[in-house]
Amino acid sequence: MIEFQGLTKTFTQGRGRQQRRVQAVQGVTFTAPNGCITGLLGSNGAGKTTTLRMAAALIEPDAGRVLVDGIEVARQPELALARMGVLSDARGLYPRLTARENIVYFGRLHGMSRTAAEDRVDELARMLEMQGLLDRRTEGFSQGERMKTALARALIHDPPNIVLDEPTNGLDVLATRALRAALRRLRDEQHKCIIFSTHIMQEVERLCDHVVVVSHGRTVAQGTVAELGELSGVSDFEETFVKLAFTDAERPSGLRP
Amino acid sequence: MSRAALTVYFKELVDALRDRRTLAVVLLSSVAIGPLVLLLVSSLVAGIEKRAEARVIVVQGMAQAPSLRNYLERQTYTITAAPSDFEQQLTSSKLGDPVLLVPSTFEAELASGQAPLLELVGSSANQRSQTGSAAILRLLRGFNQEQALLRLSTRGIAASQLEAVRIEERDLADPASRAAQLGTMVPYFVLMAVLYGALNAALDTTAGERERGSLEPLLMNPASRGALVLGKWGAVCSVAMLIAVLSCLSFLPGQWVLRSEALAATFRFGLGEAGAFILLLMPLASALSAVLMAIAIRCKSFKEAQANATVVMLGVSLLPLVSLFNQEGTAPWHLWVPALAQTTLMGRVLKGEPWPLADVLPSVAVCLLLTVLALGFVARTLRSVALK
Repeated sequence: MIEFQGLTKTFTQGRGRQQRRVQAVQGVTFTAPNGCITGLLGSNGAGKTTTLRMAAALIEPDAGRVLVDGIEVARQPELALARMGVLSDARGLYPRLTARENIVYFGRLHGMSRTAAEDRVDELARMLEMQGLLDRRTEGFSQGERMKTALARALIHDPPNIVLDEPTNGLDVLATRALRAALRRLRDEQHKCIIFSTHIMQEVERLCDHVVVVSHGRTVAQGTVAELGELSGVSDFEETFVKLAFTDAERPSGLRP
Repeated sequence: MSRAALTVYFKELVDALRDRRTLAVVLLSSVAIGPLVLLLVSSLVAGIEKRAEARVIVVQGMAQAPSLRNYLERQTYTITAAPSDFEQQLTSSKLGDPVLLVPSTFEAELASGQAPLLELVGSSANQRSQTGSAAILRLLRGFNQEQALLRLSTRGIAASQLEAVRIEERDLADPASRAAQLGTMVPYFVLMAVLYGALNAALDTTAGERERGSLEPLLMNPASRGALVLGKWGAVCSVAMLIAVLSCLSFLPGQWVLRSEALAATFRFGLGEAGAFILLLMPLASALSAVLMAIAIRCKSFKEAQANATVVMLGVSLLPLVSLFNQEGTAPWHLWVPALAQTTLMGRVLKGEPWPLADVLPSVAVCLLLTVLALGFVARTLRSVALK
């Protein structure tokens, strides 16, 4: 379970006279329970990536905290990271290593023995249908192949909590469907806590049990897809999102009531 | 080294050694080029030696100067007639010896006490003829002196009256230090081998990792940043030292093909010297690896890092020249400056001079300090640059 409690983060951009402060996240609060896929839905620049980076101990929050199974990330980052598998939007692989070597490397950094890491790679390869890729160098991999390898790398230590930042970016339909199927299996068979950030409505509708809408760095609404529909008073999920995430003034004229 | 650091170390080492194309270029530029230059220099020196041993003088108009011929033959010189187009041949470097021009009136002028003019024709653009000129000038001065002494003795003046002081030259350099003159280039090549070995590995493991987008996922592992940096630095150091060891060893067979016998007999570079070089270079490899990593970690791409690293490359290539141009010998501060200190100490190894621990320690201390500062900077910067 991952709990986000009043997370706040401000960045300073530019230097000298051109310096300005950007409030990226302002009090984001929600809980992602186990055995559930929680969708973090927001437009570009809404603060999704910053929120998830704070969860992954890459950025320290100005205020608030993230608890991973009760462990505060900012205080005990190494302990928290050991209980988390994170697939960020940076999914760089080592081109001169094979997919297997890329994945085992991260397993070893998580303190696994070589044999345990190798066994887990075979297990993940079956789950993600990537057996044919394992012993190829990752140079020249397609987007889908890269995503599968990066996902296997994030899951190598069998973490109880999984954080995925826009994982379907750049994937074709088949790769996206395969990813969705893998995430459902992880939820249903292994009871994992999964956080899935995206700006694609269709994905949220099809996959997420719980949706958190983020706008301008704030949590503006949360609940199931049906509950959010009821809250906004519209049946179409895309319209629901626009209504919840943007003020009247921000909405394009065609979408105003 | 912690377990995580060892994991990073082995991964980075495998990664660097699989970069075959870069390794091949580095091996060619730092391992093959040294012995090749050694070979070229030795063939040049062999040519000079051959000419000195030949004792040949090229003359035009020798028939008009029997007394000079007599003197030259007594000095065991072989006299060769100059070709008719000697000027052209000297200009085009076809002719390697300077040409002595004897005027037709030589003998008559000499007998009547007038000073006949002897012309020694060479070309300053023709390196070989320049080298020969000095020996011929010495020879002619000898003839001059002999003639003067003969004239004075006929007038009853003792030869010793002409010499207020006696001059004798004594060369203090032993064979090892004479050989070190040729050997000055060996430390330079080995030093550059360390730099080239460290360069690509250091840039790839920092700026390369950023450019690929693999630094952010790496930092999301529970390994400490210190362990990640230590493992990376260890691998860069190892590659740098591997290239340095190969470069040192390449000079061993390089000697067998030395064409100059004198050089081959005096150029001392055996396993002992190679071992001393490797020991002396270790602290430098450590500092260079860390400094290059610190420079590259701030760069977004490998290309940008390469441009920034030229400052270090320039420094390392220019610093050894200080000892080359410095006429006053080794100054104490030379031993405190990385690269310069190593060149100085390696020079001593080649000359067979002692290199006491007290002289080695300053550069070791500076290199260690640089390593700690640079690695601390990399560890501190790692997280912030991963997100940019």
